[in-house]
Amino acid sequence: MNNASFPILSLLVLLPLSGAIAVTVIRNIQLAKNIALLVAALELIATLTVVQLFNADIGTGFQLVERYAWIPGLNIEYLLGVDGISVLFLPMSALLTLMVIVASWNSVQTMPRLHLALLLALEGVTIGVFSALDMALFFLFWELTLPPIFFLIGLWGIGSERRGAAIKYTLFMLFGGVPLLFAIIILAINHATAVGGSIPQDLSFSLPVLLATALPDNLQGLIFILLLLGFAVKAPLVPFHTWLPTVAMEGPTQMTALLTGLKLGVFGIIRFTLPLAPSAAVQYSWVLGIFGAITLVYSALIALQQTNLRRLLAYASVSHVGLVIVGVASLNMQGIQGAIFQLLNFTMVAGSLMLVAGFIQHRLGSTEAIHLGGLAKVMPHLACFYFLFALASLGLPGTSGFPAELLLIVSAILAHPSISIAALIGAILSAAYMLSFTRRAFFGPITRTSVKQVQDLRPRELTLLCVSALLILGFGFFPNSVLKINKTTAEAWLNRLMDQPVLTSGDEGFEQ
Amino acid sequence: MDALVVLIPLMPLSAAAIVGMGHLFGFIGGETGESITADIAGWAISMSCLLALSLLGAGLLGKNTGSYAAGHWLNSDTLDIPVNFITAGFHVHLAVLFSILLALVIRFSMNYMHREAGYHRFFFMLSLFSAAMLLLVLSGNAVGTFIGWEIAGLSSYFLIAYAYDRPVAAANATRVFVTNRIGDAGFILGIGLTYAWVGSINWNDLNAAAAQLSSGEATAIALCFSVAAFAKSAQLPFTPWLGRAMEGPTPSSAVFYGAVMVHAGVYLIILLRPVFEYSTLAMAVLAVVGLATAVYSFVVGLTQTDVKSSLVLAASGQLGLMFLECGLGFWQLAAWHLCAHAVVRCYQFLTAPSLLHHIHDHQIKPVTPVMSNLRRAYVASLQRFWLDPMIDWMLVKPVRGLAHDLSYFDDHIVDRIMGGAAPAIQAISSLAQLEEQIVGAKLDNSADKFAQGSGLAGKLTEWTAAVLHWFEDRFVLRGIGKDTINYGRQLGHVANKFEQSVLRPRYLVLFVCITLLFAC
Repeated sequence: MNNASFPILSLLVLLPLSGAIAVTVIRNIQLAKNIALLVAALELIATLTVVQLFNADIGTGFQLVERYAWIPGLNIEYLLGVDGISVLFLPMSALLTLMVIVASWNSVQTMPRLHLALLLALEGVTIGVFSALDMALFFLFWELTLPPIFFLIGLWGIGSERRGAAIKYTLFMLFGGVPLLFAIIILAINHATAVGGSIPQDLSFSLPVLLATALPDNLQGLIFILLLLGFAVKAPLVPFHTWLPTVAMEGPTQMTALLTGLKLGVFGIIRFTLPLAPSAAVQYSWVLGIFGAITLVYSALIALQQTNLRRLLAYASVSHVGLVIVGVASLNMQGIQGAIFQLLNFTMVAGSLMLVAGFIQHRLGSTEAIHLGGLAKVMPHLACFYFLFALASLGLPGTSGFPAELLLIVSAILAHPSISIAALIGAILSAAYMLSFTRRAFFGPITRTSVKQVQDLRPRELTLLCVSALLILGFGFFPNSVLKINKTTAEAWLNRLMDQPVLTSGDEGFEQ
Repeated sequence: MDALVVLIPLMPLSAAAIVGMGHLFGFIGGETGESITADIAGWAISMSCLLALSLLGAGLLGKNTGSYAAGHWLNSDTLDIPVNFITAGFHVHLAVLFSILLALVIRFSMNYMHREAGYHRFFFMLSLFSAAMLLLVLSGNAVGTFIGWEIAGLSSYFLIAYAYDRPVAAANATRVFVTNRIGDAGFILGIGLTYAWVGSINWNDLNAAAAQLSSGEATAIALCFSVAAFAKSAQLPFTPWLGRAMEGPTPSSAVFYGAVMVHAGVYLIILLRPVFEYSTLAMAVLAVVGLATAVYSFVVGLTQTDVKSSLVLAASGQLGLMFLECGLGFWQLAAWHLCAHAVVRCYQFLTAPSLLHHIHDHQIKPVTPVMSNLRRAYVASLQRFWLDPMIDWMLVKPVRGLAHDLSYFDDHIVDRIMGGAAPAIQAISSLAQLEEQIVGAKLDNSADKFAQGSGLAGKLTEWTAAVLHWFEDRFVLRGIGKDTINYGRQLGHVANKFEQSVLRPRYLVLFVCITLLFAC
């Protein structure tokens, strides 16, 4: 445990939140936009400082920890901190939010100040989700992501049923929150029983403390299921994924870029589900793997059938989540490192693809294949970037998708050979769905007059996509730059799971 | 001298980067920019050529150590993927041969592609491809080779789709890439198994450890890489993609499908010679597939009347013979065959357009009389043994059908179960409905719905209420009447339909696959 001399993580949470308030108060729209941009840029710089301050060689425990009492009666603390798993998510979230703000610079005309305020507020609570170490505080941030997203979808959505989509999203997330809350309470009570104390005084919600508390075998399975269920809805895993295609179709594309880019659910599974119920995690890792494999192949097959780019990207994103879960379930270094790498990738790849879809939507009023066709001819710049991101999404060498996918597939081959077959099928299908949509939308003759007159990327949009393109290529050429940051933490994460005494029930035979 | 090897793939790669970036940001473009692009691409590949030649020279003088490592690309646990190269033997010979052929083709294209719409794009892709191929033959580890393998496949995709406004070109490009992706999956599986069983992904380590592998392990690794090789070198059952790939410009056809890329499969097999030699089964598979492809290509080639199809089938036939030679253990012969074939085929492809020009007024020689007398054989040959439709029927259609069914399932069943967007669904959508509601006709019997909710919990409550109400309404109040029989019949229909769809071949196959996966 390494305490921070300066509360930089709190600053990261509060800076966008205060920016949100400032943007709401200021009347002048142009000024408000500039302030929002400034705040997002400052936030990015601050998150990069955190990465600088972070010492990757310290494996165990959290760094830059801030601890204050919050609700002393229940032992709930305001506890923030980062480790090798979470630290890189901070700059990625900040960068994606900055990109989204720039992308919606002119395209949002109604209530632009509120829009920016909600985006900044969402950024603040998202950073909170990534850095909260107290379960209650985490849950607070987790649920606080809902209101901004609800309003962003409901007010600025592009589909006719955006209100319905907003409600659907919120209900799904609330449904996921219930098991999460139960799990948190059970864990807190278990700590009190384990130390032999009384209930309100000796409850503990702090993650480091809970990780140190042994969980009895009869609770392991329950906690695992509850936490998994809570995060599976957000991840999303089949069959809880149906909100994502709806939101992708009805919600604003910038919002969807954030939702597909920032995989809070999978982060939760890595951060909480497996370490908090370690022996259940080891015992049921194959269940998780099968869950992941089904998600992977199922959504890839459905993606083959999609004719709308936004919906296709939503299913593609679900399919990639499946692969990440397969990697996590492998319980080896390649799996966990590949999973974190792939999650970081998503921020750039899935987020940028969704932004590209937004650019198309903004210009042509549709991302339906039948309304497009021949885009490569009229929008060569956009097509170039689209190709780069699409290829990164199907894991082509040279892009950051390749090392991540390679690690994940190798981990699956090592741990569960039969699940790795599903991963390979997914790799083939991903090429099929991505490229057959590309063929219909970007190749072929131009049939529509609206497409003929469309304008290519503006300099602002070009710069935006250049940044993520550079990152994608950079990570693709030098994957070790990412892997060395989470190496020691991933080792500690894995040791924690594997050093558990193996349970006696003989369900291990599957892995052979 | 070994360090020079890094520059060999790097030269065309930087040329590709300069041309690509320059064209993207508008520094190089139009007809005036053609000479700049051509110069950059031409100089880069010439430099690679010279470097490869000097490497070969140094090797002959005994100045090479045989390998060169330039750091690490990726480390995770014991998985260490270095950036290393082999600077000796067959690898260098092929690098020399391929770089000379690539330089020739790039020189040829400078004039051939003049004033074509995608001039810069073409040279960008060709340079990228050169880098990929040179990396493929020189890399000292499986992942490096795979990177070259994939990038080469990608440039092939873009060059087939060169005239992307033609729907056929775009469709063929997609088909070819996806077909090759099956081979890539085999390659990745091979890499994974190599790492799992040998603990290293260096080619030299794998070949050295081949003796320690059990014959089952050797066979598994060998077969995985064979699938990759078959896909890349257009062996059965992947042969049809080669015909589809002819949509690209002639120089790219020459270099991809005549001279360089199709040989990557044979190269991979020759590279893994020690592993194959420990597996009789894999050798037999090589021989059988090679022979079958050679026969297939010969028979189909007899009825082709256009020059590119004939050349392509001749190429796949010759590649089949190389696989046969490998399978029979004539490794040296296969290596020579590869080199000789690359040179000859490159020449033939490049001269194909002028050949067409010369014979413009002359009749193409009719099909051989032997063939035209055998009516069935003739039709089969003309239809290329229905291989493409067969794969469509066996693989593409079931997958599409499965995707379609799943998509329906997802929209109509999973989505409904998980709770739909309540307000939008329950809103009144037409004037007639509004009138109905005002008049009170209640044709949809919405009076029964006391509770309304959405989401899982809401729906659950609503359903419980509805079911209880229904039960009371139908059974308790009216007694068991006609409705029950009707419902029973409807249920029967649904069950019947379900059973029928489950019995469709695609589901049977799917279930068998799933069972097998669980079994292994």
